Amino acid sequence: MATLDHPELRESLNNLLKNSRPRLERVLRNFEIPPEDAEDILQDAQLTLLYKWDKVRSPESWLIGTVKKKCIMYWRKRRGSLCESVDTAILDLLAVPQAPDQEKTDLSTDLSRVLGRLSQRCRSLLRLRYGLGYGPTEVAEQMGYQTSSIRKVTNRCLAALTRQLLAVGFQREFVESGEPQEDG
Amino acid sequence: MDKHPRQSVLARFGQGLAPRHQSRSIVRHLLAGCRTCQAFAARLLHGDYTAAFERARRAVEPFRLSLARERSEAPELLRALAAQPWERRIAAVSADPAWRTWALCELVLDAAQEWAFQDPARALDMARLGVEMASRLDAGRYGEERVNDLAARAWAVLGNAERVRTDFRAAEGSFAKARKRLRAGTGDPLEKARVLLLEASLRGRQRRLPEAFRLLDRVEAIGRRLEDSALCAKARVVQGLLAGSEGEWDRAVGLLREGISLMGRMGADAEPRLRVSAHHNLALVLTESGRHREGLEVLERTRPLYLQLGDRMSLIRLEWLEGKIELALGNLDRAEALFLRVREELARHELGHDAGLLLVDLARVYTQQGRAADLRRIAAEMLAIFRSRQVPGEVLSAVILFRRAAEMEGITLGLIQELRHALEAVDKAGDC
Repeated sequence: MATLDHPELRESLNNLLKNSRPRLERVLRNFEIPPEDAEDILQDAQLTLLYKWDKVRSPESWLIGTVKKKCIMYWRKRRGSLCESVDTAILDLLAVPQAPDQEKTDLSTDLSRVLGRLSQRCRSLLRLRYGLGYGPTEVAEQMGYQTSSIRKVTNRCLAALTRQLLAVGFQREFVESGEPQEDG
Repeated sequence: MDKHPRQSVLARFGQGLAPRHQSRSIVRHLLAGCRTCQAFAARLLHGDYTAAFERARRAVEPFRLSLARERSEAPELLRALAAQPWERRIAAVSADPAWRTWALCELVLDAAQEWAFQDPARALDMARLGVEMASRLDAGRYGEERVNDLAARAWAVLGNAERVRTDFRAAEGSFAKARKRLRAGTGDPLEKARVLLLEASLRGRQRRLPEAFRLLDRVEAIGRRLEDSALCAKARVVQGLLAGSEGEWDRAVGLLREGISLMGRMGADAEPRLRVSAHHNLALVLTESGRHREGLEVLERTRPLYLQLGDRMSLIRLEWLEGKIELALGNLDRAEALFLRVREELARHELGHDAGLLLVDLARVYTQQGRAADLRRIAAEMLAIFRSRQVPGEVLSAVILFRRAAEMEGITLGLIQELRHALEAVDKAGDC
């Protein structure tokens, strides 16, 4: 392997990136990383590889493994805040006191429809949360969970709900007409 | 259904970054089942990565150049630093950022690991210097997580240097700090494996063998995942040493041979120290288990590698092994001469624990020659050595028993064997 200050290093790195690119792209696609964030992941992984170049024996395996790990971390961080946003938004919507009856009915119908696509366990849990306004301890009591584990179960159900809303990883079709508005 | 949210807002929401009021209206919109926006979100995540690859490549280039410059300057900086007295080195590193570069820190840590085999006191100084540098690296310049990785490496190298000097308590503390920094690092499995490997050696010396084996299994799993045969080989070799320390000779020979076979996948010149260590320990285990002819064959095959490596500690260990083989073959005078030479070298390098172990081999010679006075002398010497160190209670008891037997002229080869087992169980935890 070329050492860092060797003139061949740049070429070695470029070749490595060229050769591993199809596998890296597959990883990024499988993890559904948005292209603008993929740049950060790739840059950070390459930088770390650069700093550890002399110690890494199989750079391609190392790079693929590192990018995979970063993708997992990416979603771990974002899914948490995304799910939290969805949860807060639903609680906010349900809490609006002066909403007209029709709006309330529509919201309830839409929510039921989406919850209906979830597993029995998540459906029951989220109905207690959104329908009856139960807090985590009450949900745990009603459903027979330990209080210590209810947070984890709730997070899983919120992730399932969020996936339903965004169809991330489930819906690949793209409807040409009536796109979200362009910025500006 | 409400009108569609803006693309940029939807994108921010998808990343969990939209403000609360925007999230509320988007969630309401999505609850109504807007397939268009769902599809848009999906498309956001399935774009073209070409630009991302190109921009990432370009962004890394300045760092490559800067690091190359650092690496070319580091050896000269290390020479200048090493020329100063110890206190001045630490002070210099604390005061002047010119001494706090990634490349210099790596060089210092590599040197500390290298010196661990030749001059443990110097290795300890270098490792401390490495810790000082790593703790003061500019996180803004190198990245906080990468700096934590290097700091983890530095603490592990220091822990290893402390282990070699049998300061297990200090080593324990250093490894705890290494683990902490590792948790705040990049998550690089290679960095983790390096820390685990060194920690496994400490656990072995502390006789916490199941823990040591578990750590080594993890190292091997990482090695396989990263296609790093040197890492797998190291794990196997240390496992072989641990099995040997338990007297499981056949298992030890098997593991060491597996480790050597894994080295076949590395380049011919790669990891010479690992090669010597693996062959040395194979020869040692074969000799200890009574297969000294096979041990001698391995030693003779490996001798050029020892000479090629050429450092003093490897040559000392070679002579020690030769002494053991001479003893096994019944050449007592030659064995004694070799052991005495090794003892002198170990004392010069302040390797008290090893010197204590060497005395056990010497005791075997004196017992077979019926030299009671010499046995009394070395038994007292041995007790002084182990009393001053942090060795497990049962080991100290064995040494006290041995000394009493020497005073009563009741030393037998069986008693020496028992003492040796007690001491070697602490010792054979692997230096790769």
